[in-house]
Amino acid sequence: MIEFRKLTKSYDHKVNVVDQLDMVINDGELVVLIGESGCGKTTTMKMINRLIEPTSGEILVNGENVLAMNPIELRRNIGYVIQKVGLMPHMTVADNIELVAYLKKWDKKKRRQRSSELLDMVGLDPALYLDRYPHELSGGQQQRIGVARALAVNPDIILMDEPFSAVDPITREQLQEELIRLQDEVKKTIVFVTHDMDEALKLGDKIAVMKDGKIIQFDTPENILKNPINEFVEYFVGKDRLWKSPEMLFAQDIMHKRPTGVLADRTPAYALELMREKETEFLVVVDAPSDRPRHMLGVITPRELKGKGTVEKNKMRDLMRTNHPTVTERTNMVDVLSLMKTHHVRNIPVLGEEDGYFKGLITYGSIVNIITDAITEIESDEGKEVSHDQ
Amino acid sequence: MTSNVSFLEFFIGRLPEVLNQTVRHLSITGTAVFIAIMIGVPLGILITRNRQVAKVILSVANVMQTIPSLAFFGLMIPFLGIGRPLAIFVLFLYALLPIIKNTYTGIQGVDDSLTEAGRGMGMTNAQLLTMVELPLALPVMMAGIRIAAVINIGTATIAALIGAQGLGSFIFRGISMGSNNLILTGAVPAAVLALTVDFILGRVEIWLTPKGMRK
Repeated sequence: MIEFRKLTKSYDHKVNVVDQLDMVINDGELVVLIGESGCGKTTTMKMINRLIEPTSGEILVNGENVLAMNPIELRRNIGYVIQKVGLMPHMTVADNIELVAYLKKWDKKKRRQRSSELLDMVGLDPALYLDRYPHELSGGQQQRIGVARALAVNPDIILMDEPFSAVDPITREQLQEELIRLQDEVKKTIVFVTHDMDEALKLGDKIAVMKDGKIIQFDTPENILKNPINEFVEYFVGKDRLWKSPEMLFAQDIMHKRPTGVLADRTPAYALELMREKETEFLVVVDAPSDRPRHMLGVITPRELKGKGTVEKNKMRDLMRTNHPTVTERTNMVDVLSLMKTHHVRNIPVLGEEDGYFKGLITYGSIVNIITDAITEIESDEGKEVSHDQ
Repeated sequence: MTSNVSFLEFFIGRLPEVLNQTVRHLSITGTAVFIAIMIGVPLGILITRNRQVAKVILSVANVMQTIPSLAFFGLMIPFLGIGRPLAIFVLFLYALLPIIKNTYTGIQGVDDSLTEAGRGMGMTNAQLLTMVELPLALPVMMAGIRIAAVINIGTATIAALIGAQGLGSFIFRGISMGSNNLILTGAVPAAVLALTVDFILGRVEIWLTPKGMRK
């Protein structure tokens, strides 16, 4: 765990580059620091391994004050990946990866075993690459070695300073995918600095949006997208971003939250009347009235009611269909849409992930509504921008 | 044609003396360059740690380079007397600038990302110097040493004037006696010596370039 307490950095004692920062980064979390250049994100990161000394405040790593530690020892126990990669051009790939292990006086055999293992891990064949020199590698391969080097002595914490911003977009995407895969495997505490919101949303367990040395919002990617705390975050995220990443949109964001249910002991006549009243052709059969938590028992559409209207002894529980697909609150929009398509349905009930209660209903209408909202919002924003220009 | 043939005969006739003076010549310049390396390299490293000091040291060394060598030899006679020590001292001062300057620029030229990576991985200053900065600066430093050596071999001919011997003694005797053969007997070996040293040090430069950086 990394904890900042009123962490402050000032170079001239007038302006605080990093200003009274409080933050907790939990073990195994990938936290992205994001902001425009000069917002203090890199400075904040470099104070963790004391490449920059704080002016005031504390940094605790697992409860221990970093400022009381020997900076050389500290740095050897924290992985570090930088934007320009910084592989030593006069050393082979193996020697580069083993550098920290060498500084920590591991014996040669153990070092070589570890560097082979790490090359495998980052997807490069040790037999081919161990003895190569950095200039013989592509930019993407070089940064893979950079990541391997940071993992060499298996540190708990890794700092990454815009590691993928110097490579081409296709390679960047690959490296991001690999980092996600790698992180699943190694579960390190990673502090990742970037100015690229797409990258932050893709990689971060949490994102800290920074401005003028302060954290404006520190939250999950989902919440940053959906509930930006102020206009700055909203602007920084970009309003249309949600529509570029529909996997960030969940059933609970799209669904009608007060869906119409019908109790299991109601008659077909009652159901028909309800459908007419609510202008719907889809009712969810439930076990309790709407003021209480209720379970979904099945669904009723006009098809099930056909010809049963007058038969009073037929209740909903006898007529309902029970094989209708459902989703949970956390199912994302992509999956919801594909489910609707494969089952040829226009309505999908949403159930609570933990309690299984009936929570809401996604209909074609609710999806159209949300798209319409977004489109009008983006258009009105663009209108504003044009008026700024004039 | 005849003068060429007679130069060759003349030269061969004095071969033992020529070899003798070549050795002296080499020993003067070699000693001067060696001392210049011993002092110039540490100084060059030291001034990379402080920009202000670097400015001062480099400009002092620059000014020294502009003093005509003949005048320099003359000015130093009251302090060191005539002979070998004076020659070595002046040549040492001449060799100092290219060595300090190239050590400094060689280390300054090491990519910031490498020193940052090194520091970030927990290298001490000494490790950063010996494992990163010096190996990478070595070719540039070697080029400085090469320049110093070649300049010194030329300048050392003048040292014969202040009694330090060397190949210059043929030249000065030749001038006073009006003998072109004698002048050439000093000048040709001095030129060959400079070219040879330049070639050998050039090879050393390539050899010292880290393997991963050879083109």
